[in-house]
Amino acid sequence: MTHPAAPPLTLSGVYFDGRTSRDRAATLEVSGDTLVLRAEGGLEARWPTGQVSIDPPIPGIRRVLKFQGGARFETADDAGVSALEARLGRNRGLGRVRRLEARWGTALGAVALMILFAWGFVAFGLPALARTAAKATPRSVLATFDRETVELLEGQDYVGPSRLSAARQAQLQRVFRRVTSRVGGGYPYRLLLRDGDAPDAPFALGANAFALPGGTVVMTDQLVRLSRDDRELAGVLAHEAGHVTHRHTLAGVYQGLGLSLLTVAVTGDLISAGTFAAAVPAALLRNGYSRVAETESDDLAGRHLLREYGTTKPLRDLLARLETEDRGADENDVQEGSRVEDLLQTHPGTAQRIRHLREMEEQAKAR
Amino acid sequence: MTERPDATSSPPIPPGPPAQEPPRVVAEVADPPAAPTVTTHPLSFTGQAGEYFRIWILNLALTVVTLGLFLPWARVRQRQYFYGHTWLDGQNFEYTASPLALLRGYLIVGAFFLTYTLATNLQFQGWEIVAGVIGLLFVVLYPWLVMKSLRFLAVSTTHRGLRFRHHGRAGGAYTAYGLANIAAGVSGGLALPWAWFMQRRYQVENTAYGSARAKFRGDVGDFYVIGLTGLAVAIGGGLLLAVPVIGVLVGLGFLENFNVDGDVTTAGVIAGIAALYVALLALYGIAWQYVRAATLRYVLNRIEVGGVVRTAATFSPWRLVWIGVTNTVAQVLTLGLATPWAAIRRTRYIASGVQVRAIHSLDSFAADVTPDENALGEAATELLDINLGF
Repeated sequence: MTHPAAPPLTLSGVYFDGRTSRDRAATLEVSGDTLVLRAEGGLEARWPTGQVSIDPPIPGIRRVLKFQGGARFETADDAGVSALEARLGRNRGLGRVRRLEARWGTALGAVALMILFAWGFVAFGLPALARTAAKATPRSVLATFDRETVELLEGQDYVGPSRLSAARQAQLQRVFRRVTSRVGGGYPYRLLLRDGDAPDAPFALGANAFALPGGTVVMTDQLVRLSRDDRELAGVLAHEAGHVTHRHTLAGVYQGLGLSLLTVAVTGDLISAGTFAAAVPAALLRNGYSRVAETESDDLAGRHLLREYGTTKPLRDLLARLETEDRGADENDVQEGSRVEDLLQTHPGTAQRIRHLREMEEQAKAR
Repeated sequence: MTERPDATSSPPIPPGPPAQEPPRVVAEVADPPAAPTVTTHPLSFTGQAGEYFRIWILNLALTVVTLGLFLPWARVRQRQYFYGHTWLDGQNFEYTASPLALLRGYLIVGAFFLTYTLATNLQFQGWEIVAGVIGLLFVVLYPWLVMKSLRFLAVSTTHRGLRFRHHGRAGGAYTAYGLANIAAGVSGGLALPWAWFMQRRYQVENTAYGSARAKFRGDVGDFYVIGLTGLAVAIGGGLLLAVPVIGVLVGLGFLENFNVDGDVTTAGVIAGIAALYVALLALYGIAWQYVRAATLRYVLNRIEVGGVVRTAATFSPWRLVWIGVTNTVAQVLTLGLATPWAAIRRTRYIASGVQVRAIHSLDSFAADVTPDENALGEAATELLDINLGF
């Protein structure tokens, strides 16, 4: 009787004593600090309100009040129990959750939030995390990556031994050393010249060059043959050195790892078939470097070419030849794609890269 | 103690709570009346897709904004919704696990899981040891985790104020989930149905409602029939799909000049092969879903509780497969947003095909008093996707 403001409250429902499965029709009366339960069969019990525990509300389900010893009272009178909760100050947090759950407005808001969050995380959060993790990875770990990858490439016959003459190979190694001493950032560089069209390869690499995280750069004979002079190859090698110094490959690995972890987390709630659908964007995103990474590496290569030769044309021409697979092609043979096409690409188009390199040159001359 | 011979060849009884749940039970009955009358209580499910969608999406959003810390609360609320909307003889079930207990389990298991993933993916120095120890720990502890999980799930389920219990012991778990799985592996799958049998029997026979123990009246042979039916579906369907496609490809000679690059026919062949691959994956999924559905129905038809209650299932396994397939399609097409609808739809269909038959009132069971369980096992089964069957 301590709260004159709170009128007595009566709830009707079912009582279980916790010792048998017998249900008894019952009423629960709340007056002041006491709960009085009267059940079928003349049973009457009292508890102080402090001892009762009230289960948080779940939409559409009877409310449950639990007492010591496993006894419980269940009632469909949600309003009554909510009033009691308010009076006793119970379940504030989950009561609020219930009110949010009851509205379509908040549900739609939650949908929008999830979409926004998912997009934001995949588009910005994950790459940023991957870049940070890549920068923080010690160099000793990078060497392991290189060793394992080269073993895989050679063990599975993706590449064959180079067919270039020893003299030509030595010359290319000199070009590579010069490039890496200028723009290499002190990594333990190594150039592997390999045949990209090995007879037993599962697929032909063709004219190609790529950088592994620790400073190993693989360049194929086919790319060497596609070039017209070593300035072009210097441009490519500087570009690959850019991937190394910016740790793009490693960031890509981390991003793929994050995506697969995310996929598991998300599809854990779906059924296994959902995993398949989620794997598709993961594979797409994992493929190759991002636009940002290519542009960063092109910047480095462009600066190197400008410093050494005063022009970015060698790299532009080689890019054009890679795009058209035509040994006679030059930068003017590559057409700009449509804007929509560009937006859809995770990878910058060749035309865009050529234009970027040309702009670098024009800016350098204007200065 | 009443072991009553079942004079009536009537179907069995007890229940099946939400989809993957242990069976329910009965109590001791004092003096058996002369002619037992069988009462059938259908199970019913009253959850609504729209209502559950709001709970699901909001709890998902709260989990995301709290960086996962809300996850145990979300899981508990979602499960409470399903249990609470499952009714038997005028009373509903209740899921009573404490989110805080689950959180502790999640954090422990999550830390191991993360370490293992990082070790295998990053291969930092000494990763073999770290991953090896965690992997070995998991293999060795797996049956124990299953046991803990079953015990926790049972003790967290309440009906009519009485809890379910699972009295499984480690010995039985290591036989049913350790030995049996190893046997299934080394026998190339021949012992797999036997392993299913051992696992279902372990699950059912150790379950109790209050103080009434459940009994499993199933037989190994029937599991072989289910397994072979699933296999036949997979092989038969695979042949039906693959033969015409390969025939067409060979007939048109596409396979021979497969290496001609860049032209349209090559793209067509690749698309055809990809489609075939997806179709075969789907077929495998269908066969597996059939095995699960048929097993669930079979087991529900062979549970007896306390000698006075039996469960019966009348749903069709093939209908359940159909629901599973269409649910998956809907979920993929809606990027997961149809998940709540799919879950409600499946549970409603299963519940509508489950009955409990009793020769005694369901209010005559008595409680069992034993110590509580911790939540580590259940957290492990959720995070690591251990399949408890059904």
